[in-house]
Amino acid sequence: MNARTIIIALLAGSAMAGGLFFALQLNAPREPVAAFVLPAPEPLPEFSLLDQASLPFTEESLRGQWDLLFFGFTSCPDICPTTLQLLSRVRASLQSQGGSPVPRIVLLSVDPERDTPEQLAKYVAYFGEGNVGVTGSIEEITKLTKALYVYFAKVDLGEGNYTVDHSPAVLVVDPAGRYHSGFSGSHTYENLLHDLPVIMASQ
Amino acid sequence: MKQYIVICLLLLSACSKEILPPLVASDLEVTRPVPGMQMSAGYVTLRNNTDEIISVSHVVSGEFARVEIHESTVEDGVARMRRLPELLVPANDGVSLKPGGKHLMLMRPADNLDVVSLSFFSGDTLLLSVEVQLASERQ
Repeated sequence: MNARTIIIALLAGSAMAGGLFFALQLNAPREPVAAFVLPAPEPLPEFSLLDQASLPFTEESLRGQWDLLFFGFTSCPDICPTTLQLLSRVRASLQSQGGSPVPRIVLLSVDPERDTPEQLAKYVAYFGEGNVGVTGSIEEITKLTKALYVYFAKVDLGEGNYTVDHSPAVLVVDPAGRYHSGFSGSHTYENLLHDLPVIMASQ
Repeated sequence: MKQYIVICLLLLSACSKEILPPLVASDLEVTRPVPGMQMSAGYVTLRNNTDEIISVSHVVSGEFARVEIHESTVEDGVARMRRLPELLVPANDGVSLKPGGKHLMLMRPADNLDVVSLSFFSGDTLLLSVEVQLASERQ
C-alpha cells in the first residue's frame, strides 16, 4: 500500500464518518440543554391573586398560552431586572424568528407588602408589552409557590429594611395551565432560546 | 556618569510608581431606575495599585439618597441579596462589581437623572470620585 492509497482510504473513511454523524444529527430528537421537563405535567391548585391591572389572576389565567413564571420583587435591583431583561430579549427573538409560540412573562411577586398592582404595572411594562405582574396575599401566593416547589422567605436587614430570598427559577406552565418544565438557575440567552421552542414543541 | 544614571533610574521608578493613582475605577455602569421605582444598581471594576488592601467602607452619590454595597448570590437554589459591611480591594489587584454578584444598590433617586456621581470612601478618607452617564434604556 503506498502513501497515496493510504491518504485516499483515510479521506474516504472520514467522509463516511462525517456523513454518518450528520445523518444521526438529523434524526436525533432535539433535547433541552438546560431545562428540566417534568415526567408528567402537574395541574396547579386553585389560587386567587391580582394582576397588574388589579384584575383577578387565578389558575384559570394560566390557561390558553405558554407562560414563563418568574419569582421576584420590584425592590430587587440586581437579579430581578437582569432576569426580566433576559426573558424579554428571548421573547423578542422568538417573536422575530417565528415558527414557535411566544410565551408570556409572568412575574409573581414574593414581596406583596411593597408590590401593589400599581407598582407592578409600572415595573413589568418597562420590560416589554404583554408582561404580567401578579401579587396578592402571602397565603394565596404560597398556594402557587408550594405547588411549584418554589421557596421564598422574607429576611430582615435591620434599620427597617428587608429583602426576600427566593428561587431564581424560571418555570414553564403549558397552555393547559399545568406545571410543565423549567430552568433552575444560571439562565443564559442561548439556553433559553434553544430550549423553549423544544419544550413548547414537545406537547 | 554611572552614578548619575542610577539616580535617574531611581527617580524614574519612584515617579512611575507615583503616577499610578492608588484606586482606579473602570467599566462603570449605573442602571436607569425603572420609572416609579426607588432602586438602581451600580457596577464597577476597582483596581488597587498599592501594596495594601483597600477597604471601601461606604459610597456616596449626589443623585441617590443612599448607596449600599450588596452582594447577590445563588446557592442551593436560592437567590439572596445581602449588604456587605465593606468592599475589600486586594493589593495590586482588583474587584469587579457585576450583575448577579457584588453590586452597589442605589436607593431613592433624584428626578430627571442623567449623570450620576459616586464617591468611594474608606472611613473619612475620600478614595475616589467618578461620574457616569446613566445607562441607556433597556432594550
